[in-house]
Amino acid sequence: MATVNDISKSVRRVDAVSKCEGKAKYLPDIDFRDCLWARMIRSSVPRGKIIKVNLPDLPSGYCFVDYRDIPEGGHNYLHMIATDWKCFAEDEVRYVGETIGLLVGPDRTVLADLIDRVSVDYEEQIPAVTIDEGLACKGGAFVNGNNIHCHLKIETGENADEVFKRCAKIVEETVETGFQEHIYLETNGACCCPEGDGYVIYASAQCPFYIRKSIAPLLNISPEKITVRQTVTGGAFGGKEHFPDVLCGPLLVAAHKTGKCVKMVFDREEDIENSVKRHPSKVVFKTGLDKEGNILVMDSKVYYNVGGYLSSSFVVLQRGCFHVAGCYSFPSFRSEGFGVATNTFPSCAFRGFGAPQTLFAVETHMCHLAQMQGLDPLEFKSRYFIKQGDTTSTNGKVVEKVMIPQMLEQVLKASDYRRKVKEYKIGSGRGIGISFYNHGGAFTGNGEQSLIKAHCRLHKYPDGHVEILCGQTEMGQGFHTILPKIAAHVLEIPIEKVVFEDPDTSRVPDSGPTAASRSTMIVGDLVEKAAKLMKDRYSKESEFEIETEYEHPEGYPWNQDTFQGYAYLGYGWGVCAVEVEVDPCTAEVAVKGVWSSHDGGHPVDELIVHGQVNGGVLQGIGWASTEVMENTDGHFRQTSMSDYIVPTSMDCPRQGVDLVDNPYEWGPFGAKGLGELVFNGSGAAYIDALSRAIGKKINAIPVPTEKVMEYILHGKKLGEAD
Amino acid sequence: MEEVRAYIPETLKEALEIRSRTDCIPLAGGSDLMVSNKRTTGVAPSFDKPVLIIRNLKELKEISVNGKGECVIGAGCTSAEIAQSSVVPWHLRQAASRMGAVALRNSATIAGNIANASPKGDTPGPLYLLDARVRLTSLAGEREVLVSDFIVKFKTIDLHPDELITAVVVPLSERNFDYIFWHKVGTRKANAISKLTLSQAIKFDGRIVSDYRLSATATGAKTNRSREVEKLIIGKEITPALIEQVIDAFDEVISPRAMPEFRREATRRMIRRFLSVASERPENRVIDTFDGFHVTGQPEPVF
Repeated sequence: MATVNDISKSVRRVDAVSKCEGKAKYLPDIDFRDCLWARMIRSSVPRGKIIKVNLPDLPSGYCFVDYRDIPEGGHNYLHMIATDWKCFAEDEVRYVGETIGLLVGPDRTVLADLIDRVSVDYEEQIPAVTIDEGLACKGGAFVNGNNIHCHLKIETGENADEVFKRCAKIVEETVETGFQEHIYLETNGACCCPEGDGYVIYASAQCPFYIRKSIAPLLNISPEKITVRQTVTGGAFGGKEHFPDVLCGPLLVAAHKTGKCVKMVFDREEDIENSVKRHPSKVVFKTGLDKEGNILVMDSKVYYNVGGYLSSSFVVLQRGCFHVAGCYSFPSFRSEGFGVATNTFPSCAFRGFGAPQTLFAVETHMCHLAQMQGLDPLEFKSRYFIKQGDTTSTNGKVVEKVMIPQMLEQVLKASDYRRKVKEYKIGSGRGIGISFYNHGGAFTGNGEQSLIKAHCRLHKYPDGHVEILCGQTEMGQGFHTILPKIAAHVLEIPIEKVVFEDPDTSRVPDSGPTAASRSTMIVGDLVEKAAKLMKDRYSKESEFEIETEYEHPEGYPWNQDTFQGYAYLGYGWGVCAVEVEVDPCTAEVAVKGVWSSHDGGHPVDELIVHGQVNGGVLQGIGWASTEVMENTDGHFRQTSMSDYIVPTSMDCPRQGVDLVDNPYEWGPFGAKGLGELVFNGSGAAYIDALSRAIGKKINAIPVPTEKVMEYILHGKKLGEAD
Repeated sequence: MEEVRAYIPETLKEALEIRSRTDCIPLAGGSDLMVSNKRTTGVAPSFDKPVLIIRNLKELKEISVNGKGECVIGAGCTSAEIAQSSVVPWHLRQAASRMGAVALRNSATIAGNIANASPKGDTPGPLYLLDARVRLTSLAGEREVLVSDFIVKFKTIDLHPDELITAVVVPLSERNFDYIFWHKVGTRKANAISKLTLSQAIKFDGRIVSDYRLSATATGAKTNRSREVEKLIIGKEITPALIEQVIDAFDEVISPRAMPEFRREATRRMIRRFLSVASERPENRVIDTFDGFHVTGQPEPVF
C-alpha cells in the first residue's frame, strides 16, 4: 500500500533500541534519593465494616498512613470521572483489595516483615459478587437502593414494543463474557516526591493529567501544584488509565505526611489480585423476526459488573450500549444498559472500553439467529451491514464510507472461507468463523470539545530541532514514533530532528488522555495542523512555538443527556476470520489461521498498525479462550501468570493482515482510531469457528479446554433453540 | 530481617558432608524453591533452613548409558539438556522439552522436578512409566528407589536428611516398546503447566500384548500408574471390550479434584485412542491423540 513518500511506509520505532538494549529506565530502575517505600494494607473481605486495624509496634522511621492523614479541607476520594471511589477506606469496605492504608518506611524487607503482622478486624457482611447477585441485592443493596450504579436507554426506528406485536417469531438469548486482566508487561508502580511547595509524581501511566486532577482534592490543592512525569511504561491496555490514581492518591498523602519521596511497586501477584479488570457482562437479547426470518427489531438489556465503585464505568456502559448493534442496521433497535454494583474490585478501562462485550454478544447472537434457520452466519449478517448515511444506534448518521464489503472480500480470499465452510462439516472438528466489528474513535459525541479541549504545542529550536509538547504517552503502542513521524512528514525534516519525550505536566499542554483510540486521530491531527502552521516559518525563524486546539467539526450534534446524535465521527471497522481444529481426544483447540482486514483510515505507519493488529487480535482470542479469571466469593482465583493464561505467539500461526485505505477527513494524513478496534472482533470469530467445529452452541466466554469438553459432552446442538 | 545462609560446595563429597551435619535445603535450578519462597519485589526470598546450592556440581551433570543399557541422568541435568540428549528415552525427552518456557528449561533440574513431588510435575509421568529409579547418595553409601515409591504423596518424598539425589536411572527406552504415546494438555501451547498428561507404551508378542504401561499426571495427589490395570490387558489380544475394561479400571485409579469431568473424559479418550490404533499395528510407532485432519481427507463428524 505504501508508496515511497507515503507516510504509511514504516520507519524504525523511535523507542526500539533503548528498550531492546535494556537502557530504558522504568520506574523501578529509577533511584530516588532518600526514598521511602510503601506497602498497601488492603481489605481481605469483600464486604464489611472495619472494626479495627491492628498494627505491630512500628520501628522509628516507619509510619502508617490512612484516611486520617488527609489534611483538613482535603477530600477522601479519587476523581475518576465519578468521585465515589475512596482513596482510603474509612469504616466500610466494598471489595477485596480496597485500600485501607499504607505502611511506609525506608527498608522493604522490614516493611515485608511488618505487613505480615498487620491484621484487620471486620464485621463481615454477605457479598454480592456476580451480576445476578448484584441485581438480586444479595446481602442488601449498597448502592442507590437497587445496586444499579448507572443506567441508560437508547432506541431507534419504530417503538420496539409495537414491532414485537407483529413479529412472527421472537428469539431470546443471553450472552455472557468474563473478567479480563490486562497483564501489561510492567506491573503498576509510582513514586511521589515533595518538591518546592508542591509534589512530583513519577508513574507508569497512560494519562498524567488524569492523575493530577484525580488526587489534588486529597490535599485540597490545585492540580497545578502536582507535576506528573510519566516514566517509561511497559504496557497498559487501559489498566493504567485511571488505576494509577489508586496508587498515586495514597502516595501523595504519604509524601505529605512524611515530607519524603514515597515509592510503591506492585509485584505480579499483588497486581493481578488488586487491580481493575475488564467488566464481565451479560447481554440479554430479544429479537423479533418476520415469517421469512428477517430481523424486524433487536432489543437488548446490557448488564455490566461494575464492582464496588462507579468511577469510570458509566462511560464504559454507554459505549457498550452504543456498540450493541454491531456493524448492522435494524429497522427497530432498543438497548437498555445497567451498571451493576457488586463486591468485586471496581472494573475499569480495558482496550475496547465496553465495546468488545456487546460486539461479542451481537456477533454470537447473529450467528445463532442464522444457524437456527439453517443459514450460514455470513450470508445472514450480510443482509444488515450498515452503510454511509445510515442511522446509528444513537440516531446519528454514519459519516464515513463503510468499506465492509471490500474488507470482507479481502478476508474471504485470504482465508478461503467459502471453500472451507463447505468442506468442514458442522461437528467435524474443524471450523472457520467470521466476525464484523467497529469501534467509535475518540471520546463520545462532542466530548473532545466539551470535556477535553485538547491542546498541543510544537516548539522549534535554533538548531532546527522541533519538540512536540503534549500529554500523550508511549506505552508500547508506538506513539513515540507516530507523532514525530507526522510532524517530520509535514515539515519535511528527518524524524531524528523531532523530539517527543515522556510527558511532564508542568511543561506540556493537556492534550487529553492516551485512551479511547484518540491519540493518532485527535492529537495527531493537532500536530499535523501545528506542523503545517510551522512549515513556512521553519527556515525563517530561529525559535518559536505553535499551539493548536481541538475544534469539533460543525454540523454533527450530540446531546450527552439524552445520548442522541453523532456519537462518533469516525469508526474503525474490522472483519476477522479464524480457523480452528479441535483435538477429538482432549478437546484442545488449535488456531490454524487468523485473517483480518481493518479500516483505521490511512495508516500512519504500516508496521505499527500490523503490531496493533497482531497483538489485539491475539488478545481477543485469549479473552474468548484461555483467560479464565474466576471470582465467586469476592477473591480473584487466578493470581499469577501461570494460572491466568494469556496466549503466547505459539498459540496462533502467522496472521494474515489486510488493511483498507479509507482516509478520514479530520485525521492526520487520513488516519483514525485503531488501537481498540483490533481487539473487538477476534473473540467472536474464534467462538464462531469453535462452535461450528464441535457442533455446539456457545453463549459464554472464556472457553478453556475443559469447557470445550463440557460443550462437547453436554452442549446444545448448533441451530437448536434454547 | 533474617539472612539466608547458603552453602556452595565445590564437590559432591563436600556437599554430602554439609548435608550430613546440617539440616539444609538442596537447591539446584531454583525454579521451584525461589518461587515458593519469594516474598515481594525488592525483598530477598526467605528460607527457614540454610540452602545448599548444588547447581554447579560437575558430578551431577552427566547423561550416560551404563553397562546394563540403562540411561543414567545426573541429578543436576536441566530439562533443556535432557530434551536434547539422544540417549534419553523418548517419553522423558518429550516431557522435558515441553516443561515451562525456555528460561525455565535451562534452569530446572530433573532432581528438582522429582523432589518437588507435584502431581502436575512433567517428568514423573514418564519416569513412573519406565520404572525409573532415583539414586540417593550419602556419606554412608548409596541406595536406589523407584521414583514411584520415592514420591510418597503430595509434596512428600522419601529423602533422608543426609542424602542427596545424585542420579535418575531409566532402565527402559522406546526400543522396549512397539508403540509409544505421550500427550500433554497444557494450559496453552507453550510455557504451560499440565492440565493432564498421559504416557503410554505397548509391546506385542504376535497378537498378544506382552507389555502395556500407562501413567497420568495431574489426575490426583500424585502421578498415577496402576500395574493392576496394566495386567488386565497384558497376555491378551486387544478387543474393543477389553479396551473399555482398561479405561473403566483406570478411571477408578485416578482422583482428579479440579476439572474432574474433563480429566476423566480426556484420559478415557486418550487410552481408547492409543490402544485401538496400536491394535491395528500401524507403521508409525508414535501414536498421538489424532493424526491431523489433513491426513484423513474429508473429515467425518467427530463430535
